[in-house]
Amino acid sequence: MQPGESPGGRTPRDELAEATAHGALYLRRLRQRQLALSLLALVAFGALVGVLPLAIDIVPQLTRVELLGIPLAIWLLVVPLPPIFLILGALYARRADALDESFRELVRRS
Amino acid sequence: MIAILAVAAVTLGTVGLGAMGTRLARTTSDLLVASRAMTAWWNAAAISGEYLSAASFLGIAGLEMQNGTTALWQSLGFTAGYLCLLLFVAAPLRRFGSYTISDFAEARLRSPRLRGLASGTVLLIGGFYLVPQLKGAGLTLNVVTGAPYFVGVLVVGLVVAVNVGLGGMRGITYVQAFQFWLKVFAIAVPACLLLIHLGGLPARAALFGDQYPSVGANGAVVALHAPQQVTFPTATRYTIVTSSHGRSTARGLESFAGEQTTLPAGKLLLAPHAAVPVASGTTPLRGSKWARPVGGGGERSPVFVYSLLIATFLGTMGLPHILVRFYTNPDGPAARHTTVRVLGLLGLFYIFPGIYGALGRVLVPQLYVTGATDTVVLRLPQAAWPGTVGNVLGAITAAGAFAAFLSTSSGLLVSIAGTISHDVWPRVSRERTTTVAIRRLRFRLAAGLGMLAPIAVAFFAQGIDIAVLVGWAFALAASTFCPLFLLGIWWTRLTAAGAACGMVGGAIVATSGILAGLALGEPSGIAGALLAQPAIVSVPVAFLSMIVVSLRSAERPTPDAEMLALHAPEGLDLPEMGVRDPFVLGPRA
Repeated sequence: MQPGESPGGRTPRDELAEATAHGALYLRRLRQRQLALSLLALVAFGALVGVLPLAIDIVPQLTRVELLGIPLAIWLLVVPLPPIFLILGALYARRADALDESFRELVRRS
Repeated sequence: MIAILAVAAVTLGTVGLGAMGTRLARTTSDLLVASRAMTAWWNAAAISGEYLSAASFLGIAGLEMQNGTTALWQSLGFTAGYLCLLLFVAAPLRRFGSYTISDFAEARLRSPRLRGLASGTVLLIGGFYLVPQLKGAGLTLNVVTGAPYFVGVLVVGLVVAVNVGLGGMRGITYVQAFQFWLKVFAIAVPACLLLIHLGGLPARAALFGDQYPSVGANGAVVALHAPQQVTFPTATRYTIVTSSHGRSTARGLESFAGEQTTLPAGKLLLAPHAAVPVASGTTPLRGSKWARPVGGGGERSPVFVYSLLIATFLGTMGLPHILVRFYTNPDGPAARHTTVRVLGLLGLFYIFPGIYGALGRVLVPQLYVTGATDTVVLRLPQAAWPGTVGNVLGAITAAGAFAAFLSTSSGLLVSIAGTISHDVWPRVSRERTTTVAIRRLRFRLAAGLGMLAPIAVAFFAQGIDIAVLVGWAFALAASTFCPLFLLGIWWTRLTAAGAACGMVGGAIVATSGILAGLALGEPSGIAGALLAQPAIVSVPVAFLSMIVVSLRSAERPTPDAEMLALHAPEGLDLPEMGVRDPFVLGPRA
């Protein structure tokens, strides 16, 4: 069954409101998409932050090489990550809103 | 003198704005959550303002000075916590429409008993997170006025209890937003001016080279009010001046490298360029080691850093005062966009604390002798720029520190008082019907009661580091409420029994780790790292026990209505799911 088509003239909105099997299915799909998006963002975050302590511990050059008189490791720890969090968060919020919107479209179209 | 005026101005401003809020607060619902019509920027500033506590304003710089740049992971984790909140919690929880963690626990899992457990945990985490705030207040007032430690604890405790009892959160949303910008100003302006004045980072050998922190070309005099155990990093000539019966005697002594000794109360005179002795409990670090963000044992090991990142990343959402603030967003998407702004605002603030820790290592090394590195943000300006400018800058940081204690304590006390007046009190007194006036009175009494225990603990916890208390609160939150939220929001098969087991298991592992660490005097190696920050163990324990117990229980939950309320986007005109809102006026069901 295509999303948006419902048997017997019932709309997804009715299904949702009455929490029938179809309504639960629509909602589960949305929930899974939202969760997949969040996990994707989490993986991106984990890859960036998770690698850093180990990298600094293992690669001695990061503490030996200095930039403007301050070791590279400190620059890596202080400068790039907070802006990356912000960008990651903003991208996530946009995609999450878009997922909500497409779900709303699906429900309204009927 | 200027500093006293600045602290008084911040305190009076907070009380004044709170009093203005009082006149606006009409209903209990208003009192607790304010109206849900704040703009995203106001909300974001208020959330950040409430969040930036003694740990952020004083603790990170102090820990950095003491322990090295490993402390900077903390500020990273404190920011990242909001990313986790954004990804998994902010929008669904706002849609769900419960006001507190206890409400969520009860409504999502249909279990009043789980509510009781959650309320108890809220009181525990909230109470213990209040202690370092009060401790910071005691330290700050002592530095600024010379008043004994307990005066600052009592002053902040009283101001916050009265302000919360009278104003509730409506007032506090504006107060918190105002205090966020005050804190950014108070940490950024002195840091930038000092860096410009000093022409960059001075004495790089002590920061990044092979030197221990040492006193300047004029030597130093350190006043010791009590006997102090210290470690001398190098062979050092020093003089001890003690006075008894009005006569003072000076003794010249010489230490060998690595000598541990107890200095008597009196004055310690250090020769020019001498390496300072370090209070016992702290390891003297050469610059190159101090500057390494990871590497070494104990609290410098990768295990500790990862555990700390886990605790802060997952624990932020479980601090009792954080989520309440999200209900001032009008809907789910607004909650998301507010959180994104919070990420930006916190990133801005956390640029600065690290500068104080580094400058402090060079310019106020005498703090190492007594171990009072938590006061470096307050003491640095006068030391780096003697004279009026230094005094003014010192007054600014003192005012910012006070703003930090006031705002975080207020947020915590609102949650604690709400929990006492809505969960504990009705259970104890078993009353069925109450009037608005009685409930408001109850909230006010609860605000007073909720402050008593933390004040008492703060008196006894004078010797425990701010960082230890804060780390424990985050570890506990990450191993109880974080799995409750993540699984409760995204997993349909979670049962009340599973949630309860996970929360209790996580709390036990986290707490016993920290207590064992305190009792054993922080053993070295990986064991020490795990005891100091047990989140890397306790969080998986909590998640696993929640999942396993839920899957094994006979109950097959069908939380369709709850999932609809959590995840259905706004604007569908769906019928209300009917989550019970315990704060709506009218008789309680």
